[in-house]
Amino acid sequence: MIDPQSSVAAVRAYRLLPSALLTIVGWGLPFAEIALGVLLLAGIATRLVAVASAVLLLVFIAGVASAAARGLSIDCGCFGGGGDVAPGQTAYATEIVRDVGLLLLAVWLVWQPRSRLTLDRFSSERM
Amino acid sequence: MNTTKNLNARERARLAAEQAAARRRDQRILISVVVAFLVVVVAGGITFQAWRTSRSPSAAPSATAAASPVMITNGRPIPLGSADAPVTITLYEDFHCPHCADFEEEFGPTITQAQESGEARVELYPMAFIDEGSITAANAMACAAEAGFGQPYYLALFANHTLQWSDPQLIDLATKVVGSPPSEAFQTCVKRRAHADFVTSINAAADQNHVAQTPTMLINGKDVAIESLTPESLKTMITDAAQK
Repeated sequence: MIDPQSSVAAVRAYRLLPSALLTIVGWGLPFAEIALGVLLLAGIATRLVAVASAVLLLVFIAGVASAAARGLSIDCGCFGGGGDVAPGQTAYATEIVRDVGLLLLAVWLVWQPRSRLTLDRFSSERM
Repeated sequence: MNTTKNLNARERARLAAEQAAARRRDQRILISVVVAFLVVVVAGGITFQAWRTSRSPSAAPSATAAASPVMITNGRPIPLGSADAPVTITLYEDFHCPHCADFEEEFGPTITQAQESGEARVELYPMAFIDEGSITAANAMACAAEAGFGQPYYLALFANHTLQWSDPQLIDLATKVVGSPPSEAFQTCVKRRAHADFVTSINAAADQNHVAQTPTMLINGKDVAIESLTPESLKTMITDAAQK
């Protein structure tokens, strides 16, 4: 289960948000991601959800890039974990490449939201 | 003839407009449902995490290592375990540092065992740099050590590391560790942050000792690489250190 201290520590490590927002983002963000994932898997309002996911991924890429640019030594906290790590243990390039890959997939869904197993097939809506 | 044609065209336009309106309405409903779903999941998640950090601590793991009151000295670590144990394990930890909780889960039992067998003693630097809960927990740790139940309290703090560590939670934890409500002195010590200066001095001491991350572990003063450590290799290290 998502550890409430770890997820806040992961957000804190970026040193981007004021302390008042750390807890709410640390606790809320993982659930927002789960919700988006569930909607994408089910194929409900695929285009809209894909746009939201793409925006989120852009924010993640910007966050990791800014951590790298500022010379921080942190774990991106992607798929759990996060927080400060030893200077030699950062993996910003890998993390950004992975996020860009996911971003491409999200953009693909914005462009082509229809697929065989999506629930959107049962509605006439194009979103 | 002409009139019929016009009528048909008008009829078709009206139908098309109706369909467009219906589609817009459906779209609005779908968007509202999706947004509502997101809001409910996120709000539910935040509420769940808030509950997890504010609930009362679970029963503490039993620990039988020598528990006698210790003196709290500014800048000096809290000793846990037999004073004449041959091996000294120095630990720098923050009670809210996630990696420390992982460390404790993996290596805690091995260290506790060494303390109980009299092979090793721990010198704990309870650092506090993550959040308010780090400070209150480090202060309460000093209070507990002073009151004579430092070792079980230490284990219980990490066993409940998801908690935010409010005063009632810290006192509740002591109740579970001791088996009865803790002394008035302990409660006052927690509430008044009696060891606030000590906590600050520990942070300064860590800085002075060039400790940049938690957890940091030293065995007889020598830095241990935690990344490559296993409980077995730690056990061997302690045994080797004891024989030197």
